[in-house]
Amino acid sequence: MEPPAEVVHWMFGVGFVFLGLCLLAEAIVGAEVWRRRRWRAYLWPGIAFLMGIFMWPVMVFYTSSAIHMLAHSAWAQVMMLVGAAQLGLVRGKLHNQLWELTLPLALVVSGLAFLIHEQNPWFFSRSAFLHHALGWTLLAGSVVCLGRAAQPRSPVFNAGFAVMIVAVAALLFCDRNVAPIFGHLSPLAGAR
Amino acid sequence: MRANALAAAVLVALALPTSALAHAVLLERVPTYGARLATTPRTVSLQFDQTVDAFASSIDVRSSTGKVVTAGPAHATDSGRRVVVPLRRLPKGAYTVRWHVTSNEGHVVAGVYTFGVRVKPPPPTEAYGAGGPTKFEYVAKWGYFLGLALLVGGLAFRLLVLRGRTVTPALERRFYWVVGVGVVGSIELGILGFILRAADAFQLPLDQLVYGDLSPLARGTRFGTAFIAMTLGFSIVAALLFLAWLTERTILLWPAFFLGLLLCSGLSLSGHSAVDVGSSWKSEVADYVHLVAACFWVGGLVMLAFVVWPTAPGLRREAFHRFSQVAAVLVGALVVAGAYLAYDRLPRVADLWQVRYGQVLLIKSSLVLLALSWGALHHFVVAPALERGRGVGSRAVSRSLRGESAVAIAILLVVAVLVDANPPAKSAPRPTQAVVAHK
Repeated sequence: MEPPAEVVHWMFGVGFVFLGLCLLAEAIVGAEVWRRRRWRAYLWPGIAFLMGIFMWPVMVFYTSSAIHMLAHSAWAQVMMLVGAAQLGLVRGKLHNQLWELTLPLALVVSGLAFLIHEQNPWFFSRSAFLHHALGWTLLAGSVVCLGRAAQPRSPVFNAGFAVMIVAVAALLFCDRNVAPIFGHLSPLAGAR
Repeated sequence: MRANALAAAVLVALALPTSALAHAVLLERVPTYGARLATTPRTVSLQFDQTVDAFASSIDVRSSTGKVVTAGPAHATDSGRRVVVPLRRLPKGAYTVRWHVTSNEGHVVAGVYTFGVRVKPPPPTEAYGAGGPTKFEYVAKWGYFLGLALLVGGLAFRLLVLRGRTVTPALERRFYWVVGVGVVGSIELGILGFILRAADAFQLPLDQLVYGDLSPLARGTRFGTAFIAMTLGFSIVAALLFLAWLTERTILLWPAFFLGLLLCSGLSLSGHSAVDVGSSWKSEVADYVHLVAACFWVGGLVMLAFVVWPTAPGLRREAFHRFSQVAAVLVGALVVAGAYLAYDRLPRVADLWQVRYGQVLLIKSSLVLLALSWGALHHFVVAPALERGRGVGSRAVSRSLRGESAVAIAILLVVAVLVDANPPAKSAPRPTQAVVAHK
């Protein structure tokens, strides 16, 4: 009944690429220009929040192992948390800038979830490689986001964050169930 | 040159363990999970995506009475990707398969499932050897009920008791904290409860359960279906609550409230009232009414004691009066539904003190009686005094409300134990005269 795992990864890749392009556009033109239309300020936090909600069906329907389920639950929660905190800040409902730290926190949790739930080494299969790459990309991204929280107007940190999100999207698009690179197929190959 | 050699060595080192460090995934079970077979299977076989280490005891098959029905040791075939165990001739009945193999990387991969020969097998949660809930599971379930009460009761209080009243920002802020804790608690403790139930069915410690295949539990049981529906539902409730807070639109609380009410039915449709022998739509409805009334009551008390009283002195008298009226109706529904369920589940009065379920029910009833007496004091003494303008600023009233809330929360702990206790078995309904005559 469920779509193949690769299709789910691509769907989230679409979300991340849109998210990354919004952030990249904001980093290029600057926050003042980007936020001249007020709704644009809500765009990326709204997408992150929505993606968090859409992660819950993945969590409950893909239960081949407990650790898989818990990892998806962690991603769902941190995406909702980041989206909610950013929306609260944009809307003026939250005033403490410490809420910005939810972003690096979310990236650390997400990265660790990728690395912990992937039990195979880097070159075991394509999916193992992607999981490791995603995990380390997110962990590296958390450092960039810490810098962004300290210097919100820095074009380097803003662009770095945007590029990291686009890289995550690219890695998600690279997922294939039937792709015999590094010698092994994913266990999900051929699954419906 | 040296750098190239080093890079090549690193690549080789990373590539070499690929065949030795792998996490096995179960691809196929024969007989499959939940199968109702017409004839005795000769073997149980499990197909993995890669080579696994199998042991003589890798597949354990037992009857519903715990009798081992394997006819020899388990062994690997298909280059170590399939593990097979021969079976004796199986009489009619339900059978539990527990398996464990070692992946190449050394992790134990395990699972449990059931099948039946000429009978419908039980869900994995009732597989032979499942030890029943632990104390930790009781505490998790207690937290789950409390989360549900804070969410549904908090929303009911805000929408019904405080309807049409201007609330202070401080009250609104604390209200969102309470229902927020409720919905997050319901999601988190729901997941924890699911994992703990799986640990019980698998009979594995938590560190080994992480690689367990949970799909038979998630797909093949009412409990699993309720878990899926409630997790998805509560995530939507969380989103609605957040949007209501963000946009300051109380109207968004209504769909969150109705969805929360609907989700409460998941417990009634997957618990004793739905699956035990003799259960009917009446027992399911009674269970649902009992649960919803309890959530309104406990959540409302917490809102009154911890939200309205400290943050909105101007609303104290009116909120107390209104909640007191609503509570009278809730208590009525609670008692009637509870009495029906007790009558339905306990065939004999002596079961109240002779079986564990009855004993827990007695403890719960005693606590409910204490809470009701406390509530009656509030209804008949405190409410009229507040109406006369006395005691609005009294610390004694505040403490008394907190005391009643504490008793109500303690009742939820007993409920957590009660819902996992098995009511005494009922005899199956006798066949009608027509059926007997036909036979």
